[in-house]
Amino acid sequence: MNIVVLVKQVPDTWSERKLSDADHTLDRASADAVLDEINERAVEEALLAKEAQGGEVTVVCMGPERANEAIRKALSMGADSAVHVSDEALHGSDAVQTARTLAAAIGTLESVDLVIAGNESTDGRAGAVPAMVAELLGWPQLTYARKLDTDGQSVSIERESDAGVATVEANLPALVSVTEKINEPRYPSFKGIMAAKKKPVSTLSVADVGLSADEVGLGSAPTQVVSSAPAPPKEAGVKVTDEGEGGVQIVEFLSGQKLV
Amino acid sequence: MKFTRTSQQQDMATALRDLLGSVDVPAIARSWAAGETGDWWKVWHDLVDMGLTGVAVPEQAGGLGLGPVELAICLEQLGYSGLPGPIVESLAVLPHLLPDTSESEGRPWLEQVAAGQSLATVAIAEHVPYALDADQADVVLLCESDRVTAVEDPRLLRQESFDPARRLFTVETTGATVRFQNDAASVREAFDRGALGCAAQLLGIGRRLLDLATRHVSERHQFGRPIGEFQAVKHHLANALLELEFARPLVHGACLSATSGASCSGRDASAAKIVAGDAAYAAARTALQVHGAIGYTTEHDLHLWLTKATALRSAWGTPTWHRRRVADALALDPSVPVGGPETM
Repeated sequence: MNIVVLVKQVPDTWSERKLSDADHTLDRASADAVLDEINERAVEEALLAKEAQGGEVTVVCMGPERANEAIRKALSMGADSAVHVSDEALHGSDAVQTARTLAAAIGTLESVDLVIAGNESTDGRAGAVPAMVAELLGWPQLTYARKLDTDGQSVSIERESDAGVATVEANLPALVSVTEKINEPRYPSFKGIMAAKKKPVSTLSVADVGLSADEVGLGSAPTQVVSSAPAPPKEAGVKVTDEGEGGVQIVEFLSGQKLV
Repeated sequence: MKFTRTSQQQDMATALRDLLGSVDVPAIARSWAAGETGDWWKVWHDLVDMGLTGVAVPEQAGGLGLGPVELAICLEQLGYSGLPGPIVESLAVLPHLLPDTSESEGRPWLEQVAAGQSLATVAIAEHVPYALDADQADVVLLCESDRVTAVEDPRLLRQESFDPARRLFTVETTGATVRFQNDAASVREAFDRGALGCAAQLLGIGRRLLDLATRHVSERHQFGRPIGEFQAVKHHLANALLELEFARPLVHGACLSATSGASCSGRDASAAKIVAGDAAYAAARTALQVHGAIGYTTEHDLHLWLTKATALRSAWGTPTWHRRRVADALALDPSVPVGGPETM
């Protein structure tokens, strides 16, 4: 079976992340960029499915030129090939435009059985793209998977949400998004790292995937970020000195916050 | 000549660093020192799966066939992590002692060590009198000037070590031994690889000591600010960083002359060993100082890298011996640059 994994390069979780002042898009230069951790899990799950069922794993990524570092990480973990949609025109694209681009990129591949994505990226955190891609492809979407099983004909997941755990099934082709509970991703082996250099990566422009430049990017994005501000610094907490009344004061504080 | 690391070399370092960062190496080092080796072996098997043991082994013997540069990059990461074990011995020295020709008696050992099925350690006359962690190794190679003897079941006697996680043993031959025909040059070259590997490890150890010190002085407050803001503290740390950064090109240069087999490779390994040892030792003294000497206690993690930096500085040939070799080489031919004639 042929599996596509959607991957994204994001600023390192531990680094300071900020938006650029000019257009409120992500300031990619200000932080170290890494393959999003949730995507490592998505790649791992695809590799496990490949090891059980055979087939090929293709990584699909949309991002600037330096996103090829994230692609290389996925390839050194064991993915077979990659499609990198890289185009100046994509700068500032929102979730809908990203989903359109990714769906179009998947459309350039032959006989895809399963698409695996992370449930949400650590930088954007919209959590919408996987569902949008499924909708655009017209495929069933199985989101928030903490466990995935497939026999090559259908796919079954344990979907975990705040409401509980549901078992969901669909026939292939389908799209699955995974949560961080799905697995522990492998480390790339030295052999894998050496082999990654020789694996095919096709770099496509917006036109190559069949879209026109005015359909994507900041200018035509359906959603616009009109302003942004850094999160306010944490305010100092209330200190209670216990002089016999400490317990009462704590309860008063909590009830003031409507917590008790 | 381009000296920057390739993306492949950077990826190898990152993979190794991520793996070693995910385990509690200080705890492993302490139990290893106490003779409880189970946790160490678990990490070792993960490192074997990653491909670490095959880095310097030729492809026809099941290795990755990479060179001294990759090996040094790996050993630097291992030094940074503080992982104990006969790592330099297995990874850097052994591939040079056992010829990889298919009819060689050493070939099976080489293949097993590359595949991670065996662990090896060495003792080399004059410079490496004790075999490191010999009780955990499947084979001890005893080297005299042009003779290499593999001992499978030696009688071992544990010796005191400054770094308790470096468990040293004297080796007495009792039962079966296999003797390999080596020429004196290959034994000398194997020793040079050990010294160079040790230098790379020291770079990593020094960097870790500096990182631990930097973190401590950013967190520890005195007179209302982090102590790292005081010049007397930060200048010490800057000096330690300078020494480490000046040692790095010497280690990389020695890797290049080892790769090309230049006549100056022994001299360059010595130079790298001296300067990396001094830099790591300076970082250790500085780290201890800015920690307010807390690293003296064995309970503090700093202790692990302090003792390793101090022990390795005089392992694989003392600084005095290496200095003399550099001086002799320069007296003979002062014109060859570090890294060999082609680096110019």
